[in-house]
Amino acid sequence: MTFSDDILMAYADGELDPAERAAIERAMQADPAIAAAVARHRTLRDDVAAAFADILAEPVPARLQPPRAQTQAPAQAPALEAPPANVASLAAAREAKDARAAHEARRRWSWPEWGALAAMLVVGVLVGKLTPGGAPPAIAGSGNQVVAQGELAAALDRQVGGSGGNGGNAAAVRIGVSFAARDGRYCRGFVMGSSAGLACRDGDRWRIPVLAEAEPESAGGYRQAGSALPAAVLDAIDARIAGKPLDAAGEAAAKARGWRPAP
Amino acid sequence: MLADEIAALLPRMRRFARALTYHREDADDLVQIAMERALGRSEQWEPGTRLDSWLFRIIKNAWIDEVRSRTRRAELFAPAEEGEHVGDDTAQAHQQRIALQKAISLLSEEHRLVVGLVLVDGLPYKEAADVLEIPVGTLTSRLARARDALQQLLADQTDTTRRTP
Repeated sequence: MTFSDDILMAYADGELDPAERAAIERAMQADPAIAAAVARHRTLRDDVAAAFADILAEPVPARLQPPRAQTQAPAQAPALEAPPANVASLAAAREAKDARAAHEARRRWSWPEWGALAAMLVVGVLVGKLTPGGAPPAIAGSGNQVVAQGELAAALDRQVGGSGGNGGNAAAVRIGVSFAARDGRYCRGFVMGSSAGLACRDGDRWRIPVLAEAEPESAGGYRQAGSALPAAVLDAIDARIAGKPLDAAGEAAAKARGWRPAP
Repeated sequence: MLADEIAALLPRMRRFARALTYHREDADDLVQIAMERALGRSEQWEPGTRLDSWLFRIIKNAWIDEVRSRTRRAELFAPAEEGEHVGDDTAQAHQQRIALQKAISLLSEEHRLVVGLVLVDGLPYKEAADVLEIPVGTLTSRLARARDALQQLLADQTDTTRRTP
């Protein structure tokens, strides 16, 4: 009796019913070639599984955890300890509940899908973070648009070739990828303090269609510079980019033209 | 709570993603995208069906979206270190793991998906077919071809190693 290689593979993978299994086991005893084919399938399966086995034991980066799983333990403890009959404790429980709601709201802002909200909604929350000390605000509303100004606008105008960032200053602007959008305008990804966004040239200004909270770099250091842009910003780049990102020479040429669209 | 059950499956999601993308950072970016989608549409999961299959399907779809824009996005991701870190196991076992991961990364996308589901994660054929939304017969023949291709790639690697002093 002969068996197709697919059946022998299914046997090695434990997919056959008892009758089929018994038939193949008899054939394996009778024919060394069949036994060898089964062994080959089993070895490959075991080797592949072994090659990836260690990944299960790796600590899962915090950025992948659902927001609730991150906050649950500390948030629930105070409320559970409060005896419900006691007025003072009720107030404490209410406080704890409010604190938990505020904490969860903060947490949720760090979840990148919220970056997909219209930038106007986010501005009120993020503008403080973009404004270190007494410096003028880095972004401002203009009509129904959000535009860069101050330190951010200056960095978008000047930084090329991955330069910039004045060592250690948390508010320093880092310019990521620069590219020409499908409509010919130049756009640049940026990270400033705890915020990240995309700025696109519009006349002599930088409009900001997307702004989101950046991945905190202190959280284990597993984030690399190029991937510090949140998913919402990457998606916005993907939706706009025409061709490839600019290299250093391309950035320098675009800067020389005042970031006006190439002729 | 669903979010906790999803969180418990994160190690397997990361491992499956690693079979698809090879690089740790890219794989975790893929898992992060899938997590956002899963939590954003958790009402679409039907209780009583397998949560792992549902999550793997979301990863698969996110990866296919990712592959479509890969030529553009490849340059947005920082270059990651090659494959696995060297652990404290013997150099030979480490070499073999790297060789296998590398070979899998050279498979076609279709083949990487079946290898990731059946050989890396160990899903039964029926569940793997369910993730890929294909009949079990199609899954079986695709898996057989993927194994052949993988054996061939591993044989080629060995040949190259022998030729190179």
